[in-house]
Amino acid sequence: MKISIVTPLGKIFEGEIKEATFPGSEGEFGVLDGHAPLVTTLNPGVITLKKVDGGEEVIAVNWGYVEVTPDHINVLVDGAVPVAGSSESEIAEAIERAKQLIKDATDSDALVAAVEAKIESAARSI
Amino acid sequence: MATLKELKAKITSVKNTQKTTRAMKLVSTAKLKRAEEALLMSREYARKIDEVIKEISAKLASIKDSISLRAFAEINEVKKVDLIVVTADKGLCGGFNIQTIKATLAKIDELKAKNIKIRLRVIGKKAIEYFRFVGIEMYEEIEGLSSAPNYEKAAEVIEKSYEDFVNEEIDNIILIYNGYVNKLTQRVHVKELLPVEVESESKEEFLEVEPTDDYEMILESLVKKYLEYTMYYTLLDSLAGEHSARMQAMDAATNNAQEMVKQLTLEYNKVRQENVTRELIEIVTAIEAMKKK
Repeated sequence: MKISIVTPLGKIFEGEIKEATFPGSEGEFGVLDGHAPLVTTLNPGVITLKKVDGGEEVIAVNWGYVEVTPDHINVLVDGAVPVAGSSESEIAEAIERAKQLIKDATDSDALVAAVEAKIESAARSI
Repeated sequence: MATLKELKAKITSVKNTQKTTRAMKLVSTAKLKRAEEALLMSREYARKIDEVIKEISAKLASIKDSISLRAFAEINEVKKVDLIVVTADKGLCGGFNIQTIKATLAKIDELKAKNIKIRLRVIGKKAIEYFRFVGIEMYEEIEGLSSAPNYEKAAEVIEKSYEDFVNEEIDNIILIYNGYVNKLTQRVHVKELLPVEVESESKEEFLEVEPTDDYEMILESLVKKYLEYTMYYTLLDSLAGEHSARMQAMDAATNNAQEMVKQLTLEYNKVRQENVTRELIEIVTAIEAMKKK
């Protein structure tokens, strides 16, 4: 299924994926191919994408929408930081920016801590 | 006829002007490239948000009557509107700013003829200076935003209008700006933002909405995003337009200067030759006069 993640400043990710997990406002949820149509808002958190080639993509977002249809997903977010990079220093910088994005978006320390843990663990698997 | 010295000074001065205009053109070219990129990047978001609003509203068309959002309602009597005008902060870009101002004046006349009250909110120093000069009252003046578009500030501007719209203080928001088409053309846009256009034919499709059944919340926040984004995009578009207009104006100025240098050099040479001829005649006559003695 196709997914596109866009912010007002540009496209973050577009491509074919197998599975996606979103930090929905009513709780985290996963989407597989053929999901029922759904519209929901997102909380600050991380979107995890499982790509067709088995690779994983982790993107921190602060706030946004997801529109799911059986064959594609549209994600509109205010701010997004992909946790990725070609070198260790780049990854470390991406992690810092992702954490900052989440911190700016929420007052809840528990949420920040939870998301940070997720970002860290995702970064380890890169 | 001007003396050689005067002509020389003139040529140097025109050449200097030419240098300045050429430099300004180069600067604008570079800035335009950046503005163009930002524009392209954010166009994707525009396309998506339009798509999402259309899709959701089409799916919700069957329950449309139960949605009480003013942004989707039809407004029968328009009494007061917000007119948001965007121009550049700087001049030297040909007719770029004045085109927008003219379009604004035309719109103001049109609205006044219909007895609609206007709240003029102006972004950009050039339009502010103009309206101040002709004595048209402005509701809000914002400087510095059009030369450095910023999403948060753009959102702030439009949010105020939207709040007043929801509180029924105003009935529409009209956006006027000069946008970028390509490197040689800009076009003035006059956009009425509300009510938001929706698909009227309903798709009988199942759609789950979370938080459960709170369509209004989702739609309203989407509309807000849409407005915020439109405002931001307008600023980007206007900035790209400004740079392309300035590039053109400076290019024309450089060419004109070039032409002027050519003319002046021609004149300079003519004067020089005349002087040489005159001096020669003087010498020859003097010799001839001496020979006769």
